[in-house]
Amino acid sequence: MIGFLARRLLSALPVLFVVSLVSFIIIAIVPGDVTAEIAGSDSTEAQRMEIRERLGLDRPMVEQAVRWYGRLLQGDLGDSYLLNMSVTDAVLERLPVTLSLAAIALVLAVVLGVLLGIVAAIRHDSWLDQGSMSLALFGLSVPDFWFALILISVFSVGLGWLPTGGYVPASESFLGWARSMTLPALALAITQMGVVARMTRSAMLDVMSQDYIRTARAKGLRRHSIIFKHALRNALVPIVTVIGVMTGVLLGGAVVIESVFSLPGVGRLIIGAIQRRDYPIIQGGLLITAATFVFVNILVDLAYGWLDPRVRDGR
Amino acid sequence: MAKTSRLGNAWHVCLAAAVAAFIGLSPMAGQAQTAGGDLVVVQSSNPPSLDAMVTSSQASRNITMNIYEPLFGFSENIRPIPILAESVEISEDGKSYRIPLRKGVKFHNGKEMTAEDVKASLERYQKHGATQTMLKPVESIEITGPHEVTLKLTESTPTFLEAFASPRAPAVIIPAEEAGKGPSEIEFIGTGPYKFVEYVPDSHVKLARFEDYSADESHEGIDGFGGKKTAYLDTVTFRVIPEPGAAVAALETGEVQLLEQLPVPTARRLASNADIAVYENMPWAFLTFIFNMKEAPGDNPKFREAVQVALNDEEVMAIATEGLFHLYHGWMYEGSTYDAGDIGKDHYNLADADRAKALLKEAGYNNEPFSILTDSTIPEHGKAAVVIAEQLKAVGINAVINQVDWPTALNIRLQDQGWNGWTLMMGIEPYLGPAALISTLTGAAPHFRANDEQLDALYQELISTDSEEGRKEVFARIQKRLYEFFGIIKLGETGLMQAARANVKGFKPFRFPRVYDVWLEK
Repeated sequence: MIGFLARRLLSALPVLFVVSLVSFIIIAIVPGDVTAEIAGSDSTEAQRMEIRERLGLDRPMVEQAVRWYGRLLQGDLGDSYLLNMSVTDAVLERLPVTLSLAAIALVLAVVLGVLLGIVAAIRHDSWLDQGSMSLALFGLSVPDFWFALILISVFSVGLGWLPTGGYVPASESFLGWARSMTLPALALAITQMGVVARMTRSAMLDVMSQDYIRTARAKGLRRHSIIFKHALRNALVPIVTVIGVMTGVLLGGAVVIESVFSLPGVGRLIIGAIQRRDYPIIQGGLLITAATFVFVNILVDLAYGWLDPRVRDGR
Repeated sequence: MAKTSRLGNAWHVCLAAAVAAFIGLSPMAGQAQTAGGDLVVVQSSNPPSLDAMVTSSQASRNITMNIYEPLFGFSENIRPIPILAESVEISEDGKSYRIPLRKGVKFHNGKEMTAEDVKASLERYQKHGATQTMLKPVESIEITGPHEVTLKLTESTPTFLEAFASPRAPAVIIPAEEAGKGPSEIEFIGTGPYKFVEYVPDSHVKLARFEDYSADESHEGIDGFGGKKTAYLDTVTFRVIPEPGAAVAALETGEVQLLEQLPVPTARRLASNADIAVYENMPWAFLTFIFNMKEAPGDNPKFREAVQVALNDEEVMAIATEGLFHLYHGWMYEGSTYDAGDIGKDHYNLADADRAKALLKEAGYNNEPFSILTDSTIPEHGKAAVVIAEQLKAVGINAVINQVDWPTALNIRLQDQGWNGWTLMMGIEPYLGPAALISTLTGAAPHFRANDEQLDALYQELISTDSEEGRKEVFARIQKRLYEFFGIIKLGETGLMQAARANVKGFKPFRFPRVYDVWLEK
């Protein structure tokens, strides 16, 4: 297991290197820089040049790249041009918001999606199957920002149950945190719920036609035991694969949801940095987000072993 | 030629209430101001910095002008008035400005403001100020008393005080011990009615009432950026909500109390909501179209004139501003001090296709591409570009749109090649007056890339003319010149729609949301 983990961690390094290189190259070729943001759009060329010199933006790209990787090897992601803080602090300050949003959305998407998928599979071709899959299709089809505004309109403006946006840290008020995360997580979960529901239905239908399920039925096992112990566990492997990919989608999708609900997460940090050309934040933020994605996928690989002894035993 | 967009009846009722509030008929006669509460103000973007000197961003100014104060600022009718200064005495040769300071003014750290703080702050501005050219005429800043500084100018500059009072990136006064620090590295300590508490980027900026605030008792009430300011609220939270729909929903539920800007159609919908007061902050900005005079076909004045006469400005403004516009040809606001009357009116909003085609023929235009640079960050820019392109195509100009983001547009427009026309909203320049507006069109880097010698000379004459009457006359000639060489086209004027909960009292639309003299009705 340790060898497997070490191999997976080592294989992550080239991925992170490519992410850092691509982000660096994109930044290098995109026109515009941070000077107009710092000095104002009506600043003089001399003022802008002074800022470029101060930030080292006047240096050749190769030199800037060497400096960036040199710092990176020492664990230093640099300092934001605009936030007056280090990139690490800026990202870590916001990571809990994005991770908790993605995690709650993931739980909602998986729980609701798996339940819908199971119902659809065991009531195959019934109105419950049609209804569940219609709901899943609805989830897949609606843009999350539109669904977010509908949720705000219904639950905040109409019913007044939940806030329209803003973030309350759990350390300040757990109830406030839960209230502030409910609608964003629901909005983010809706699309992925559809994916999980369809995948679960398909996997369950496949498993339910296997011989061992027929055998289990013939043995007179209870329906509940057959579905959850024998069928679902075997159907989970492709679902877990989807969950790994979903993590990336949720981290990416959080950008839009964070904007709609004005949550101070990593997504908004990176989008703001792109709009204002705060290069260290873009590079550092992308790297940390990519590292999170890679780490979650390693966890998913480990989960395969837990779910399927054949993977664990290398068969 | 002046024309204002038509809005609905309910809208007019609401607008009338806002205007009444604005001109002071109701502040708030018979209403008792109540202290306390947290006012939540919404704006769409983060302040790039809360170091007021180093940024000219509106998102920063909205907040910093409640924290810091300069020596001079503009009054409601855009005249320089003392704020932290007590007065000013200008020598006969116009080269010395003796400025006694108000005594007993405290910083948020409890220290009393002295001449040392003023000198250190102004010297910091000369080094780091975003519009440091406004202090260019200043040769030295001398402390001539514990509460007095004297500015020595290299030469007489009649427009110096107007420039010095500019709120674009204000020359605010901070403690001397902070003044040695670099851009955005200071503690946010000012003398204003509200003090800084915390800033969580992408979330909020929180301010709290400064209990030891020293109000300027020489005024009856607030006056523009100055006057007698009173902080009624315990705290003020500036929340950053980029999505307009979410911001409006928060206002409707009462989670927030004031929107710094909201979409025009939404404002119309909210006008009938008794719990919400809608304000029209007009005029706010000019929408303009600027030529690159260094690249063909925009280097030909006849071609530029063809574009000027081809445009249907009413159509451009109606679409770009969603109906919140005012048509006026003048390069200063109608009825303002420097309004130059009918000069240029005969070239404005003509939509004359035949004349445009004739001018294009005269210019020798041969279907060269005409690239319109615009951006998606400021919606009015992009929408105006689309309408302009369609109108130009209709007269035979091969117009293409190059839409990029704002930093990219700023970068491209600084090049001599790669663009032919550029849509730009000029917000603060027309407000600041002729010198601020025309300075962007002259000097080392004019917006249209190539200098117009006559305009450059007129600008120098403008800033060196002593009397206001003299400057008015010069500005009239400037307006005439602008309508002769057509380097820039004024499309029209637009405004900001703002909204507040009905229990927010004392709010008057202005160049930034003044949260002092605002209270929450219990």
